[in-house]
Amino acid sequence: MEDDVKVLLIEDDVAAAEMYRLRLVADGYSVVIGRDGHEGLRMAADEAPDFIYLDLRLPGLDGFEVLERLRADAATMHIPVIILTNYGEPDLRERGLKLGALEFLVKADTTPAQLSDSVERATGPRALPST
Amino acid sequence: MPGFASPWDERAVVANDASGRLFDEAVTLASQLASAAGRDREAWLLLLRGDLLTCVATSPSGGTDSRGPYRLSEHPDLDRAITSGDVADGPSEVLIPVHAERRVVGLLVIAGQGGLEHHERGLLVALASIVGLGCSQAASIDELQEEAERSRRLERLKSEFLNIAAHELRSPLGIIRGYSSMLGEGTLPEAGRDVALTRIAGKAEEMAQLISEMLETARLDTHGLELELEPVDLRQIIDDAVNAMRPVLGAGHRFVLAAPGDPIAVVADRPRLTAMVTNLIDNAIKYSPQGGEIAIDCTCDDRTATIAVRDHGIGINAEQAHLLFTRFGRLVTPETSHIRGTGLGLYLARETARLHGGDIAVTPTVGGGSTFAVELPLV
Repeated sequence: MEDDVKVLLIEDDVAAAEMYRLRLVADGYSVVIGRDGHEGLRMAADEAPDFIYLDLRLPGLDGFEVLERLRADAATMHIPVIILTNYGEPDLRERGLKLGALEFLVKADTTPAQLSDSVERATGPRALPST
Repeated sequence: MPGFASPWDERAVVANDASGRLFDEAVTLASQLASAAGRDREAWLLLLRGDLLTCVATSPSGGTDSRGPYRLSEHPDLDRAITSGDVADGPSEVLIPVHAERRVVGLLVIAGQGGLEHHERGLLVALASIVGLGCSQAASIDELQEEAERSRRLERLKSEFLNIAAHELRSPLGIIRGYSSMLGEGTLPEAGRDVALTRIAGKAEEMAQLISEMLETARLDTHGLELELEPVDLRQIIDDAVNAMRPVLGAGHRFVLAAPGDPIAVVADRPRLTAMVTNLIDNAIKYSPQGGEIAIDCTCDDRTATIAVRDHGIGINAEQAHLLFTRFGRLVTPETSHIRGTGLGLYLARETARLHGGDIAVTPTVGGGSTFAVELPLV
């Protein structure tokens, strides 16, 4: 599909990644998953996603480091990023938003439907689900 | 008294200003008293730490010269004075033991020609007892400060722990909420339904496990654990634990089991022992994210059975290994910070092993990784 919106999930929790992917795919997005910080960065550069969900607690590089590097690279600096984590502390939230994250979502409080809505908010109306 | 093993160390004394002043004044007074008869005398106060007598105060006439430290084994005269607890008259000095809490903690040394007059001696012995009281007080103050520091540390650990536990509960909760919301909305594709139900059950189990570990820990703190003992074959326990963990075994992992052909009879609380072995296997899987062999060996000699769970994973920093089995002692390093877990499992594992009359230890696996070995007494 030409106007296919590609979402990169940088998430080491297999169960969480799989669940959000199910919903995003059902809503017509194409989804790729990076399992750790380094893989996430590589995929952000190689796959040119339209949108990134970023976990904070990750093997290798943590989410903040990933975000800093995304912002420092001309190829990835404009990709919208939403932090998706189980850490809801205000100082982390503030740090994430300062680093340029669009939103800061707590996984336990974010259903797949709400997650999908957040992509739509960030990238405009979603593509039609493929049938 | 706990933590009172060596209250007379330098730290206890020197760290306390009030005591320091007391010692200086006592020694000055001692030298003045001893000099009152017109003879030049000097005084030192030596306090005992282990086998070592260290000077903590010097009389002004003694200038800035300190004395010692003296190792008791190399100074029989000092050793005798300490052991006997009586005033000892030497040719050029008098040694007056300092008593505190019914033991000798140091010596007041008066040096100079000629012995002490009877009344001088009485006064100096009294002075030595005041110094002894000062020592006791310094030690108690020090102990109180340590106790306060310990409880502050524990409080901090507790809140850090609560933080970790909350996050650990949030992660399975997120999955349960997510899938159930999709089931409720009817937005889950047909193919995902089975996955959803399996995940929900698995994550609910994970939460139940975590909550029961927290409750076990709380129970241990308040009442201690009561074991329900029965004769069991240790091989059966290991089988049960291995079978429980097979579903979470990663693709890159494999179990290698080794056990004797005959039953290994121990008297044990079956569910608790099974939970302990399950937990060790769970850790071996979690801490070897690259996969590899997870070996579970069961061996025994005449009196002891040993279960060893060996992985080839991240391994443990040897300097921090002693913290592993403590209540809030989860080791978090950049390599492990993303791995789920509260650290309660290993604390409970050690308590369980000890309640069974055994113990648990961790050693590095040759070539990387960790080996956790539990020893249990045989029937």
